[in-house]
Amino acid sequence: MEVITQNIVYFAIAIAIMVLLFVWAYASGRVQKDFSTMTWVLIPVAIAINGVIGYIVGQIKLPVFLDSIGTVLVAVLCGPWAGALTGALSNFVIGMLTNPTDWWPWIPVAFFIGLVAGLCANAGFFKSWWKVVVTGFLIALTAALVSTPIAVYFFGGITSSGSSFITAYLLQTGQGIIQSVFSTNFLVEPIDKISTAMLAFAIIQGLSRRFVARFPRPENVQTDGGTSRTQLVIALGVVVLLILFSVFVLNRIIAG
Amino acid sequence: MHDRLSFYVPRDSILHRLNPLTKLFLVFGLILVSFISPYYWTPHLLILAGIIPLLFLGNVVREYVGAMLRIILPATLFLFVMQALFQPLEGTELFRVGFLHPTLESTMFAFRNAARVFAMASSFTIFLLTTHPRELMTDLTRRGLPPQFAYVIISTLQILPQMHAKAQTIMAAQRSRGLDTQSTYLKRVGSLLPLVGPLVFGSLVEVEERAIAIEARGFTSTRAKTSLHEIPDTGSDKILRWILVLLVIASFTLRLWQS
Amino acid sequence: MAIVNLQNVTYRYPFTEIPALKNIHLKVNDGEFIAVIGANGSGKSTLCYALAGFVPHFFKGDLTGTVEVAGHDLSTSTLSDWVLNVGLAFQNPFNQISGAKYTVFEEIAFGLENIGVPREEMKQRVEQAMSLTGISNLADRSPYSLSGGQQQRVALTSILVMQPKVLVLDEPTSQMDPVGTREVFGVIRILAERGMTVIMAEHKVEWIAQFADRVVALHEGQLLLDGKPAEVLTSDLLPEKGFGISRYTSAARKAKDQGLWKKDRLPVTLEEAVEGFRR
Repeated sequence: MEVITQNIVYFAIAIAIMVLLFVWAYASGRVQKDFSTMTWVLIPVAIAINGVIGYIVGQIKLPVFLDSIGTVLVAVLCGPWAGALTGALSNFVIGMLTNPTDWWPWIPVAFFIGLVAGLCANAGFFKSWWKVVVTGFLIALTAALVSTPIAVYFFGGITSSGSSFITAYLLQTGQGIIQSVFSTNFLVEPIDKISTAMLAFAIIQGLSRRFVARFPRPENVQTDGGTSRTQLVIALGVVVLLILFSVFVLNRIIAG
Repeated sequence: MHDRLSFYVPRDSILHRLNPLTKLFLVFGLILVSFISPYYWTPHLLILAGIIPLLFLGNVVREYVGAMLRIILPATLFLFVMQALFQPLEGTELFRVGFLHPTLESTMFAFRNAARVFAMASSFTIFLLTTHPRELMTDLTRRGLPPQFAYVIISTLQILPQMHAKAQTIMAAQRSRGLDTQSTYLKRVGSLLPLVGPLVFGSLVEVEERAIAIEARGFTSTRAKTSLHEIPDTGSDKILRWILVLLVIASFTLRLWQS
Repeated sequence: MAIVNLQNVTYRYPFTEIPALKNIHLKVNDGEFIAVIGANGSGKSTLCYALAGFVPHFFKGDLTGTVEVAGHDLSTSTLSDWVLNVGLAFQNPFNQISGAKYTVFEEIAFGLENIGVPREEMKQRVEQAMSLTGISNLADRSPYSLSGGQQQRVALTSILVMQPKVLVLDEPTSQMDPVGTREVFGVIRILAERGMTVIMAEHKVEWIAQFADRVVALHEGQLLLDGKPAEVLTSDLLPEKGFGISRYTSAARKAKDQGLWKKDRLPVTLEEAVEGFRR
């Protein structure tokens, strides 16, 4: 039973590692160029976008969160470390203004969402619709991986999120706790994160080139002609297939 | 979310006068001890002998009880019920309804966890109630936090409520038109896009001018920055911080000792 | 003595073909008040940004020619040093609020904190600047709770408190209602009377005529006219090139065609028009 002893010490260590990673990256000067005044001014706005879109989506009861669009925006325009900082601060501040227990435990998840989105964008995977879908999927995978230990060690697998009912059900069917939590996350995250990445891409497409050029990494979104309608349709098709795949996997898990 | 810029309640109390860093140590001290201590009743004891006296020292009992009833209690109760019901701990079964069969062990387990989370949320709430963000940021900047971080935190605390108020206006308009829950998802999203889009793009376009405005006021200056406000840090602040560090070390040692 | 010296300045924004500024020569003497007029897209704002160092340091793009202020060359200075000599305030007052401060007093002190002014001196300078611009009564208000005119005066004070040698204003009243416009020009009048070097892009001709020592007219990125307000503002070139001109000037020009205006020089302000018609 020691496995699920809720241990904030692990969490504190994880946070400390993140902070150290960030301090190292920041102090060693290798990411200083990503933190221009534009970056510092964009981060609060991006956090507000996270909060506001998350709020509206919650109000109209869409089955997604969409509370990291701003994080992805910063990650793409200003690099992975700026994205990671935005994610972490976003959960910190929104939690502080609303409900800390809903937000603070997931700070590492938000941190890695920003980091991975930025790394993907740096690798050129934010330039066309289908590449953005791939990025969204990688973000989702990261989010599922990082949130599993938090849900397990911090909350004993049952969090205050709605999807916990799936986890609870899986636990009752005799699945192990880690499998249950990971399966739940793996089902919920891709739809959310791919939509997030696609919306962030749509927003960037709507900004003028001159404005985007002010940010530290405009080359990340210099599109290679992949913003056509056909591409969008293909990308949406991929998303629908992914959703169907998730439902299929869910059925298998419940059946097995 | 709150229209106020933070939870802060301006008042004169012992806790308000404490250095912000000392208060941070106090918060993390309480949290770490309640999670690390090997004894079952530690978090419960900390609530009674730590959180409650702090409320009176900070003179924020009324505000705290409001926040507690609205946020902390529902969250911890939910956590307690879910864990008591679903935590797969074998032992004395308390009762059985359908597939639910909480055991004495899972209930005890949930009770301690709920107390830990309660203590954590409460100590943070007290911190936020008695510390102005400006004081915390000024103090941390003086101790070496890059000033840009202070900018980001305080700017976020001001922009977020403004944007949130605009979003609330949009949602109220949707509700009055009956577009919030009655219609299909597609319709709901379709009706919101023309309202949310300008909100998002507008806030992004402002970024450029605000960057120019703060650069014009030396934001990127390489000179050592000074601060308008002076945040006192007394000898007793330092002693208190050391006591808290020792308490955390002591409970960690006890934890290792017991296992 | 020239404190500002622009020699043959040509500038193109990134991703554009047509230069926003073409071969600009401009000298400004210490204590002069210069008004810059021009239609939208004439290069007024770009000229302001070039004087304040944001072109090219913030906007990137290609700048040729030399920009000198107080003996410093823009191409060899950093933006954070440049802003110590040249202060900039612009149109939108809301976007000039730093967002990092809770009260007007703190907001005005923000720049001084950034450049490391000691606390006691900082307080003194903030108080002096606020009483100069007449906003001492706003000290404890939140900058977000103010009217547009008040916010713009706070923005001006936030720049003035840094004691720049040259003040650049980019249409500071274009987003103001009449009350706000009067408030902001009240502050600008004080600056003009105190002999501050000011370069102000503005299209409200009747106000310009009251303050400016010299008026510069820009057209499609080029310097069209440079001279005394009474000459430039009444030049026949202005209506031809589509500039906004004073309604008193255009009324008098029509009157002159009919032989009703007897003076050589056309009026800019109401007073001049009344006086001219009276004769």
